[in-house]
Amino acid sequence: MRSSPHIVVIVCCLLGMTLPVYADSSPELANQEIHEIVDHFIDLRLNAVGVAPAPQADEANLLRRTMLDLVGRIPTAEEAKQFIASTDVNKRVAMVDRLITSPGFPRHHANELNAMLMPSGSGDLLKYLRPAAADNRPWDQVFRELLAADAESGADQFLKSRVKDLDRLANDTSVIFFGVNVSCAQCHDHPLVSEWTQSHFFGMKSFFNRTYENGDFLGERDYGLVKFQTTDGEEKVAPLMFLTGTVLAEPDAVEPSDEEKKEEKNQLEELKKNKQPPPAPSFSRRAQLASVALEEDEDIYFSRSIVNRVWYRLFGRGLVAPVDQMHPENPASHPELLDWLARDLVKHDYDLRRLIRGLVLSDAYSRSSRWEGASDPAPDLFAVATIRPLTPAQYATSLRLASMSPTWFPADTTSEDFEKRIEQVENSASGFARMIDPPSEGFQVSVTEALLFNNNQRISSEFLRDGGDSLVGMLKSIEDPNQLVDVAVWNVFARPTTVDEAEVLGEYLKQYQDNRLIAAQQLVWALLTTNEVRFNY
Amino acid sequence: MKQIINRRSFLGSTLASTAVLTAADMTVLDALQAPAVAEELKRQDKRVILFWLAGGASQLETWDPKPGRPTGGPYRAIQTNVPGIHISELMPKMSQRLQNTAIIRSLNTKIGDHGGGATLMHLGRRDESALQLPDLGAMIAREMGQIDSAVPDYVAFYTATEGRSGGTGQSGFLGARYAPMFLTTESKPADLSLPPGIEAVDHQTRADLRELLSNRFAQGRKSSSLGSHNEAYARVRGLMSSEQLFDISGEPQAIRDLYGPTLFGEQTLVARRLIEAGTPFVKVSRAWWDSHGQNFETHLELVTELDHVMSGLLDDLEQRGLLDNTLVITMSEFGRTPSINASLGRDHFASAWSVSLTGCGIKGGSVYGKSDEDGQTVADGEIGAAELFATIFHALGIDHEKEYYVGVRPVPLTEPGTHPLKDVIA
Repeated sequence: MRSSPHIVVIVCCLLGMTLPVYADSSPELANQEIHEIVDHFIDLRLNAVGVAPAPQADEANLLRRTMLDLVGRIPTAEEAKQFIASTDVNKRVAMVDRLITSPGFPRHHANELNAMLMPSGSGDLLKYLRPAAADNRPWDQVFRELLAADAESGADQFLKSRVKDLDRLANDTSVIFFGVNVSCAQCHDHPLVSEWTQSHFFGMKSFFNRTYENGDFLGERDYGLVKFQTTDGEEKVAPLMFLTGTVLAEPDAVEPSDEEKKEEKNQLEELKKNKQPPPAPSFSRRAQLASVALEEDEDIYFSRSIVNRVWYRLFGRGLVAPVDQMHPENPASHPELLDWLARDLVKHDYDLRRLIRGLVLSDAYSRSSRWEGASDPAPDLFAVATIRPLTPAQYATSLRLASMSPTWFPADTTSEDFEKRIEQVENSASGFARMIDPPSEGFQVSVTEALLFNNNQRISSEFLRDGGDSLVGMLKSIEDPNQLVDVAVWNVFARPTTVDEAEVLGEYLKQYQDNRLIAAQQLVWALLTTNEVRFNY
Repeated sequence: MKQIINRRSFLGSTLASTAVLTAADMTVLDALQAPAVAEELKRQDKRVILFWLAGGASQLETWDPKPGRPTGGPYRAIQTNVPGIHISELMPKMSQRLQNTAIIRSLNTKIGDHGGGATLMHLGRRDESALQLPDLGAMIAREMGQIDSAVPDYVAFYTATEGRSGGTGQSGFLGARYAPMFLTTESKPADLSLPPGIEAVDHQTRADLRELLSNRFAQGRKSSSLGSHNEAYARVRGLMSSEQLFDISGEPQAIRDLYGPTLFGEQTLVARRLIEAGTPFVKVSRAWWDSHGQNFETHLELVTELDHVMSGLLDDLEQRGLLDNTLVITMSEFGRTPSINASLGRDHFASAWSVSLTGCGIKGGSVYGKSDEDGQTVADGEIGAAELFATIFHALGIDHEKEYYVGVRPVPLTEPGTHPLKDVIA
């Protein structure tokens, strides 16, 4: 039940803010790679405001960050050691290429897309997204398939989980695919309201108003209009209008008689009983949306929104922030860059893997998250890396991985057996992941989580277990405290131990000389529960 | 013992990283309960106990009786200790304690389904599909709670409800920091006790070591999310010490009798212990008031219990000098129809119903608004959820027009243009 007189509005003039198209037409930028373009525009603004960015992160930090972003987990101790030891000058590119073509990438990518598409957590799209991510299906194709809502592939879950609330379906679709949130319209004193019209929102809703659920299937009718009242109380019929203002032609919808409706209802009941899908419409409004949104010049919302969201995922802040507020009053921090990346994505068939690869190879991506300067730089300069909370899957998998004995993994980190073990760890972590809150805008760790880690039995049974395959089991057999600390820190933090850390931890362990099992459990608990493990930094 | 002392002093002295405040016997709370500290809290802080009467309590059998009318039902109205104010005879104890209570008889909240009504009366405004809003408890926790509080700042009981859903409790865009400690199946929160298999001292030193490492990691790294991680862990020790607040076995029998032996009564006693120790907001739910049939039997039982528990609470708060700083609210998702249906029940009714506000900042012994003689409509002083919330905020000294920012969008505590009810405020 919606209620308050929503003056629901949507941006109509993103097109109006299109910027000069010089990025890829200027000769020096024409043939450069994504990461070079990213750094070009980010550096341009840093120079303009006179801010020197943070130095590049060290290798262990960079590896951990990149692995969390590409394959959803921290490195094993062995992977970290090998990367740091490698003398290959191209080792960063080689690492990115290895990860992005590994089976871990589509698994993680599917989880990330799922979190983006199904943020409320009610229902999931993984059945559809896993194979889609595995064959790096173009983003425009994913969009079309989600709107086509095929039941067999599971693509129908996007619509099905929302079809009972068409306002929500219209708004979610705008937010997720086009970066436009109607709630901004509720600003009673927004200066730009005059540019936004109710027709945009109700137009968006019109693409979905004929969609209904019948048993296990979705159907779409041939008739039905969206009516709304203007703020002056006038009743209007919503045009079939996209966010850009383009109105689509459609055949006249003849409202059936009561008799015909009754017959339709009976027919649907019969189909429901026989577990059969309803008949396809002769004209599908949803299909119109799928096609208009991707047409040349109309695709500006669609392409920029996905670029902005992928940027957000990797940088912790969108080029337009928040990601659902892409409107003229809230311009991008680097408009030319967003524009270039969006057009580049379209040109390369909406290949998200290619985009992600390009972004993680940039210097802007690989900066340190520490800021030594006096005053903090504005976050939209991307002068320092953002600290991002891990997703439940990333956190649970990483905790699980960190608490396994390093000897449990095959020595060859490129082998199939190694990959199998990793997948095993991921699967075993899914239960614990459900106990963790997903990240959100302005995320805060709850006391419930801190209590869970302090006092829930599951922590000791899952992560502090004594056994041949567990870190605790291995540590307790190590007599030399320095070596013990070294093994533990590599395993949990995926980096070498600092000198004073070694001292502090060694000192701490002296308190437990009489009980090596407790010593190992105490140490592992303290390392696992640090903020260093909880965040991607 | 010597070894314990050594262990404990390890991080505190040799590394001087963080003050190790908490004793292994967890006496922090006892300090809070010491009289001097309690006095201090009383001066500074205001508290709320919300009685959530889930399912919809009848205004006619509580605060707005209509004796002798076709809608009145079998119960009489009785004179209270405030001349001119009558309430249902099912509340004899409250009738003698109305000097601190304001009754509001003119709510018209328009939503007549349980989910929608409960959401409205928790949020003080309509739900939005695009924005997760915080509820009353979360907003009060945010406004009154202390970041490093040793006690939980929003506790919600929803056990006494026969397992029915609708126990809304959400912090929305305020984030997990202000989410309720939510008790659905037990009277004690999860993960509050020391887990088996670990000594208290080891539990403490590993937490100290964690904090040391985390503080080092946070150096030079600025992020409120990162900060919240350490803050949440820093609160664990205090919260664990608050475990005893959930245990009423040590309360004198005379106090326990005030509240009575029912689960609702006992949870209300826990609520008093919590607010006394510094928790700003506790919700105690009682269900199930949804009397579509047998309204009068249902209300005989539930109102009688409410009358006992509420008056016991008010007496206890007054004896302790806490009533001036504690606001006690009775509220539901809606009221019940004046018309009595064929099953001798009353149905959902949001057009003219009542709530009560007692204590902190409230003009006691007053009635605000009026329903018509049969209780079918509001005759005078119609208000909605927003005005009620503004009044609650105002009584607590919180600016109801204060705005939170969600991205670029300002979200005020109550809807723009809402005014508190001046006549209800002391």
